[in-house]
Amino acid sequence: MAIAREAEPVSSLTEVREFGLDREDLLDIYRHLLTTRGIEERGHILYKQGKIPGSFYTGRGNEASAVGIGTAMGPDDVGAPLHRDMGVHIVRGMEPWRVFAQFMGRMDGPTQGKDGNVHMADIRLGLVAMVSHLPAMLPVAVGCALAFRIREEKRVALGWFGEGASSRGDTHEAMNLAGVRRLPIVFICDNNQWAYSTPTHLEYAVEHIADRAKAYGFDGVVVDGTDVLAVYREAKLAIEKAREGGGPTLIECQTLRMEGHAVHDDAFYVPKEMFEEWAKRDPLESFRTWLRANAEFTDEEEDEIRGEVKKLLNEAVKRAEESAVPDGSTLLDGVYATPEDLDNPHHK
Amino acid sequence: MATGTLVDVVMPQMGVSVSEGTITKWIKSEGEAVEADETLLEISTDKVDTEVPSPASGVVQQILVPEGETVEVGTKLAVIAPEGAAAPAPAETPAEPVAEEAPEPATQEAAAESAAAAGPEGETPTAATVETPAPPAVSTPDGQEDGARFVSPVVARIAAEHGVDVAQVPGTGRGGRVTKKDILGFIESGAAAAPAAPEAPVAPDAPAAAPAPAAAPAPAPAPAPAPSPAPAEAQAGETLEAMSAMRRGIAEHMRRSLDTSAHVTSAIEVDMSKVAALRQKLKKEYQAAYGVNPTYLAFVARAAVETLKDYPWINGELRGDSIVTRNFVNLGFAVELADGKGLIVPVIKNAETLNLLGIAKAIADIAARARDKKLLPEDVQGGTFTITNPGGYGTFHGTPVISQPQAGILGTYAVVKRPWVVQDEMGEDVIAIRSIMNLTLTYDHRLVDGALAGRFLRDLRERLQTWGESDY
Amino acid sequence: MAEKTYLQAISDGLRQEMRRDKRVFVIGEDVGVYGGAFKVTQGFQEEFGPWRVIDAPLAETAIVGGCTGAALMGMRPVAEMQFADFVSCAWDHLVTVAAKQRFRAGTPVPIVVRCPSGGGFSGGPFHSQNPESSFAHIPGLRIVCPATPEDAKGLLVSAIEDPNPVLYFEHKHLYRRIKANVPDERYTIPFGEARVHRDGEDLTVVTWGAMVYTATEAAEKVAEEDGISTEILDLRTIVPWDRDAVLASVEKTSKVLVLHEDTHTGGFGGEIAATIAEEAFEHLDAPVRRITAPDTPVPFAPALEKTFLPQVDDVVAGLRELAAY
Repeated sequence: MAIAREAEPVSSLTEVREFGLDREDLLDIYRHLLTTRGIEERGHILYKQGKIPGSFYTGRGNEASAVGIGTAMGPDDVGAPLHRDMGVHIVRGMEPWRVFAQFMGRMDGPTQGKDGNVHMADIRLGLVAMVSHLPAMLPVAVGCALAFRIREEKRVALGWFGEGASSRGDTHEAMNLAGVRRLPIVFICDNNQWAYSTPTHLEYAVEHIADRAKAYGFDGVVVDGTDVLAVYREAKLAIEKAREGGGPTLIECQTLRMEGHAVHDDAFYVPKEMFEEWAKRDPLESFRTWLRANAEFTDEEEDEIRGEVKKLLNEAVKRAEESAVPDGSTLLDGVYATPEDLDNPHHK
Repeated sequence: MATGTLVDVVMPQMGVSVSEGTITKWIKSEGEAVEADETLLEISTDKVDTEVPSPASGVVQQILVPEGETVEVGTKLAVIAPEGAAAPAPAETPAEPVAEEAPEPATQEAAAESAAAAGPEGETPTAATVETPAPPAVSTPDGQEDGARFVSPVVARIAAEHGVDVAQVPGTGRGGRVTKKDILGFIESGAAAAPAAPEAPVAPDAPAAAPAPAAAPAPAPAPAPAPSPAPAEAQAGETLEAMSAMRRGIAEHMRRSLDTSAHVTSAIEVDMSKVAALRQKLKKEYQAAYGVNPTYLAFVARAAVETLKDYPWINGELRGDSIVTRNFVNLGFAVELADGKGLIVPVIKNAETLNLLGIAKAIADIAARARDKKLLPEDVQGGTFTITNPGGYGTFHGTPVISQPQAGILGTYAVVKRPWVVQDEMGEDVIAIRSIMNLTLTYDHRLVDGALAGRFLRDLRERLQTWGESDY
Repeated sequence: MAEKTYLQAISDGLRQEMRRDKRVFVIGEDVGVYGGAFKVTQGFQEEFGPWRVIDAPLAETAIVGGCTGAALMGMRPVAEMQFADFVSCAWDHLVTVAAKQRFRAGTPVPIVVRCPSGGGFSGGPFHSQNPESSFAHIPGLRIVCPATPEDAKGLLVSAIEDPNPVLYFEHKHLYRRIKANVPDERYTIPFGEARVHRDGEDLTVVTWGAMVYTATEAAEKVAEEDGISTEILDLRTIVPWDRDAVLASVEKTSKVLVLHEDTHTGGFGGEIAATIAEEAFEHLDAPVRRITAPDTPVPFAPALEKTFLPQVDDVVAGLRELAAY
């Protein structure tokens, strides 16, 4: 029996305007979707070419969720996105060439080669770099919200987790503390239905992850993660509610993980029918269709945007490839922080 | 805890970090009856105020801590005489509360087990030549003499730095080993007061050119080296300077050597013309090809080693009642340390296996290492015969001190151009200018008689004067 | 200057910092209304309010992880673990996120996690541990173990100032037992600087925490009964630790003993002993000894705990053995 509210799709441009988006914003959203997918498709190729070491994860199928939420964040809000949420980095302003540099372990990546794949973030964009032990970033996001609450700032923190990660205690502790203290945080569950090879019915016993919100004293909502505008609307509602002191919300974005857990996984365990069904609901295609139908999106506009993104990414790959490989002598740097490190906007 | 029949009441611990409590009120007084678990007193601690129930039924025999006082957790507060117990006098000593186990006195090994004290040998350190100080030879500290002794890293290092033979240092450590304190104390006092004569291997050598000082450790079994002599006083116009450990060692060994051996010196003059000519010839070649100088010393050393083959007693040793001879020659060379700090006698092992070039190289190497303080312990021990070169400064004669426990020491002196009577091609006497070097052999007359010494010198001279170009 | 207990010194230091810097806040279980299980924050919530002295739910990961998030947003959180033993519930966060954030992401995590550590009062296996060595192994953390009231205050202030995650192990058995003069004003004590607790010539004891007092008692005993002069070095901080001071003392005495209350295998004494062997080999006149608790969980019964914890007599025996070597 479902407890969480199920979100409706967005019907029209008018409704969209009610949520503060104009047509230009919509085109930007489309651009961000294309950029996000483009980065991951390029990266996939580079990885197979041996130019990206280690492992490679994509969020194919989750682009709308990531871009929708990223777009709904306020300029001073912060978040700890995960490996399926590349769109959040892009919307917040992370330059694609630095993402490629990060993938390739170069000095211009945000971690300067110290960590790989999407374990990156630029704190100046209000984002916190993730770790592998998920959902270890949820208590951290709650901590950010705690700081805002203590300082009585109208800022909101966002914490992401997958439906697999929801099984760990960190989820419970983080949500409980957030609920008890009514902290300004929005929890986002990227439910892409597979935690590596574990399907949802082996991962949790309730109908929706979002149903658990009630257990922590706040509301949960389930939304179609492939519908960027629906996601945007729910995220905006939740973020503004938190901003006004209404406490946390748990948004569950439903998608299908369209590729393996990582590039090295061919996802043989996912029934073909699932892939076929969700391919029809591709987030980029869906939004393009909606734009055509509701916003008079023209071929010229589309071609222009596509061209810009293509150019952007081509240049980004090139620039990243020119970035320096870290020297072994840099290994010992930065294990410990110095007082100078405390100089960044969020530390004021 | 109770002894006999009495039961103690102690200050309880009300929480992990609480260490004391205050008695706020005695509910029962001395002499009053009380039931087990009945409240006996009230206390206050940092964490909580509470009541203390009686541990037994009986009579409060004695209250030891009055109201208002603060005591540590575990302190005895009162004594209860249980029911049926005879009324004991208050003076009866109650059991001790939570008695601490009496710490066992740690057994200590007596520090100084005298190591097998080296038997006194009465060998005295060799005395240096009159011209140059003869430093005592330094044996390395590696327990060669006594394999059972462990030498710790710090002791090994100190011994090497100061040229002390650890075997000579009395040890007060576990198993009789030499501790850092022992060796530092030993060096400090210069072992001047060694009661027993040292075991062998410390012999101050009279080195040629550079004397090396090595503090000869006093092998006395007694732990403490003898105290230094009464502090001297400076008169007007005088300055006092403390003797370094090395100097003290040298002094002690020179004395000891002279007291041990019966020192006699014989001398011979050698016409080094042939050697001089050969030197000139070989100089360039040796420098270019091998980077060494064919010194007079190298020639003398080579000739001496050859000659010693025929005179084993001069390469020998008196050990107890036995005469020791060898099929090898470990040739010691006296080397002076910089700034007149002293001298050291490094040893070229198995010199009998080396030719002229070999000896020249070995001498150069060992002299350099001695000056750079890079000698290893084994480099300064095991010598069987020593050559010293006091003539480096132009002197023509001397009487070096034998390096114990050797039997002889060869002294070389300045090569001087002198008018010399030689035979011309017609067998007539003529005067020629020849390069003449004086050689002395100082020998221990207990073992080596004058005749033997004389023959040795004769043969040595013969070799040097007839050195052929093909000889090496 | 005033005489304070070890606990009061910590409390005063914390209160001073909270008055001075609004970014400093306290979070932990029972720290607000109750004033902390050991009363370190007694009166704090009355003074600073419920949003600077936060009663957290029973959730160490949320507490410490929350501190990291708040620190990333510019606060200076001071978390209190009710017992050091419970920091293991936050071990994952500390090791995975807090320790590595600066290295990976360039963002410092200036948090302090106060951990009441140590045993000696029948606390049993879960209220008596000294977990410093498991964290010492993780690059990116700082570890502090004061023994005196004066050091406790100064090191706490330094910990709050430090831009790295600091694990502050306050030995709870010292809370009320140790009193000393503590300066009234604000002062810091640098990390990585040992303190010569007692000067000596013959032997060196390297130690920290409550064992400093055990060592002192033992040193006094062997001085009086055996004429042995023992130098006691209080490391004060474990990461970083003052290698130079230790090596200098080893050079002086050539005989060294490492003493810690933590268990033997993998205890930090091993790191110290290995370093001494590597860097001061030629100064050693005896093997480097360690006196520690044995490899067992902390037992409950007083008789067992006495066997477990290094006692004065154990150290006396160790010192005598070392002296006689």
